[in-house]
Amino acid sequence: MRPPTTPRERSASEPAPKSTPEPTTPDEAAPESTPEPVTPDEAAPERAHAPDVRDAADPGPHARNERTGSQPPSPSEASSPAHEPVTDLSDLPPVWSGRRGLAAWPAVPLLAALALWAYAVRHTDVSRLDDFGLVTALHPSFWAGLAVLTTGFWLTVRDPRRSGGWSAAYVLGLLVMERATQAVLYPTPLYAWAWKHDGVVEHLLTAGELQTADQIGDMAVYDQWPGFFAAQAALVRLLGVESAAMYMAWWPLVSSLALLLPLLLVYRTFTEDRRLVWTAVWLFCVANWVGQDYFSPQSVAFVLHLGVLAVVLRRYGRSGGGPGRQGQAVWTAVVSVMVVAIVISHQLTPGMLVVSLLALCLLRRHRDWVPVVTTVVIFLAWCLTAALPFLSAALPDMIRSVGDVGGNVATGYGATPTGTGAVATSWAARLLSGSVLLLAVAGVWRQRVLRHRAMPLLLVAAAPLPMFVASSYGSEMIFRVLMFMLPGAAFFAAAALLPKVRTLAAEAEAGTGTEARRTGVSPSAPATGRRPLLPAARRGVRVGGPLLVLLAGTLAFVPSYSGKDRINYFPPQEVALVRQLFDRAAEGSMVVAANRNYPLAYTSYGTIDHYWFLDDDRRHVDEIVKDPAATLARDMAGVEHPGRAYLLLTQGQRANSEMNGQLTGAQLDRVQESVAGSGLFRLVAENGAGAVYELRREGGAER
Amino acid sequence: MTPQELVVRMLPPFGGWLALAALALPGGSPLRGAAVVVFLAAGPGAALVGLCGPALRVRAARGPVERRDPGFARRSDLLERLMLIVLLSVGAVMIVATALIATHTFSAQRVLLALTLLTTLAAFCPRLRGASPPTPRTQEGSAP
Repeated sequence: MRPPTTPRERSASEPAPKSTPEPTTPDEAAPESTPEPVTPDEAAPERAHAPDVRDAADPGPHARNERTGSQPPSPSEASSPAHEPVTDLSDLPPVWSGRRGLAAWPAVPLLAALALWAYAVRHTDVSRLDDFGLVTALHPSFWAGLAVLTTGFWLTVRDPRRSGGWSAAYVLGLLVMERATQAVLYPTPLYAWAWKHDGVVEHLLTAGELQTADQIGDMAVYDQWPGFFAAQAALVRLLGVESAAMYMAWWPLVSSLALLLPLLLVYRTFTEDRRLVWTAVWLFCVANWVGQDYFSPQSVAFVLHLGVLAVVLRRYGRSGGGPGRQGQAVWTAVVSVMVVAIVISHQLTPGMLVVSLLALCLLRRHRDWVPVVTTVVIFLAWCLTAALPFLSAALPDMIRSVGDVGGNVATGYGATPTGTGAVATSWAARLLSGSVLLLAVAGVWRQRVLRHRAMPLLLVAAAPLPMFVASSYGSEMIFRVLMFMLPGAAFFAAAALLPKVRTLAAEAEAGTGTEARRTGVSPSAPATGRRPLLPAARRGVRVGGPLLVLLAGTLAFVPSYSGKDRINYFPPQEVALVRQLFDRAAEGSMVVAANRNYPLAYTSYGTIDHYWFLDDDRRHVDEIVKDPAATLARDMAGVEHPGRAYLLLTQGQRANSEMNGQLTGAQLDRVQESVAGSGLFRLVAENGAGAVYELRREGGAER
Repeated sequence: MTPQELVVRMLPPFGGWLALAALALPGGSPLRGAAVVVFLAAGPGAALVGLCGPALRVRAARGPVERRDPGFARRSDLLERLMLIVLLSVGAVMIVATALIATHTFSAQRVLLALTLLTTLAAFCPRLRGASPPTPRTQEGSAP
């Protein structure tokens, strides 16, 4: 149990004199206009941003004492409250000003929220999703649970009497509600991309080797970054399950939990204030709607990326307290293992890691070229050997996109939200991200001391921005940049919601005034320039304002993350239909579909060809719309025996087409009616989720 | 070496051999899944962190400028150790699986066997020790 350290805590067991109406915190007492006394190392944060900052090397007398613990304070310092064990919480007005409650009261809102969530998932029907996805399908108790959880978290995290364990429990509760709801609600895994990765794992298991573009075409790119897929192939066999689809619905929860470890470590490198740490973690979780946590290489690579950054921030640099280069070789070996795992798994993450490590080198205290050189060497070694075939083919396009910022941030055809639901959820996501970034800017601007102390994190947050210039990354660069900025941005956004971080000297100043009033030695508050109390309304705003922001962000996560579930969810019927198709498709067959948004789309991609006609040139799409059966029959001709050509139309394709600005539902209906009524095709499978047509062979005699 | 240290050191390889033994259970069995997942998520990393621990401790950790809570650095070190155990394990699984598949020798059993052998080797190796730090005691907060 932590000893009572804040003025308020001390006064809890030692009643204040009757003349003091209510214990005041330093924060309440300190007028905002009073300049903050600062320690020498923080006297000029603006100056400190220059490369020759010396805060860590020479942290000033107070910090030096705190750090080494070996230099006794001077007699005058020893009598100062600053040398009593104070915490960052000393400036907090308590949320609950009554007596000490039950130690376990945070369990009440937490359990209530989880109970509401459990009730909600039992009473939510996902069989008829509309354009708002899960948002309108969720039982109202889900929203109530999320609100209770957020309120409970906020009241707990800023209560100085609560240990960090409760905040951790709330964050775990949030992750369960955010990332496990879909796994519980939907009987099949979400996301066509996750199904695609399942197909890659299956292919590796079937082939037993890495293949080239000559053998598998465009899909060879996955064999050139096989780390994640090879590991999953081993896991599938070791678990003895049929495929990765058996467990990949839970991957968002698993990867989000793994992310907590490096994220916490990064934040704990810059502050001991658990309010700041856990609020930043909370904001990161709710703002990370981009959806790269699904069954994918980037979900693991992102965790490893943050792990490398955490190690570099803590163990490298010129003034980390370490004795020169001692131990660096072993740390570099440890970092190398993580970097190799990143490099063999994902194309973009090593680039992001390099720019982040380079950004850290801008700061003198973190300037250590070993991590960045190690990463670049490993990255280049992979690119110039295993990944060379893909890179040499893609190089012209990559060079063309350098500098084309407009093109790199454009979304392109087939990615324009269409319809009320898609537009509304897209705006919810944009507002959520914009708000967190604005909060981060406010935090950087407002928290002068923190801005200086956490400058490395600020640089890491800004480092991905130049990637806009480098590549469009398949129209996804804007989302990826946002995701890689988020760890740093969430930290400063949290700082904007919390009281100002002050130096020990500033706290000593504030603490002296409070102590003096408490003991009655110097009861003249005006003499110290302090205000006696904040007005009740202002206190309400200070407590309730950030809570409202947190609530809005947490609730906005749901439409941002699950608002397009009509596209991403494939009901069991749809899975069964596609499986039926691939069961009957002989080697050398071709599957034609409107787009690739259906499950198992990449099954047997080594032997079965695909054509997604909405990915084709717009003029050709117009031809298909004009005369569907004849045009598609021409496109599908030429499949050699024993292969067949199939047309697959499913509800997942329809949802994707409608909600992303491709063809409307009516246009797709006309395509299907034309094919169904044509003698060129015959229906071979059908259920409530779609239909499969086979192109008749020339002459149309067969049945 | 105390009996407790011996147990801690031998736990990761034991987990690996246990996971190998668990493959005899039917596919999809929860016990088999638990043994495999726990080992793959922590075994190799725990062995590597145990092997390198003394050498890693030589280099002090950077922490918040103002340190008020004496236990904070120790808890951060524990968190760092936990993170390394998980991330090094995941990294090792990916690297070993990729190496086997790139050399046309891939099978899941071989991946598990290679990781178990690696873990066993790390457990029996003498601990890596870096150059002695200038101070007789490691600075607080430096333990990985």
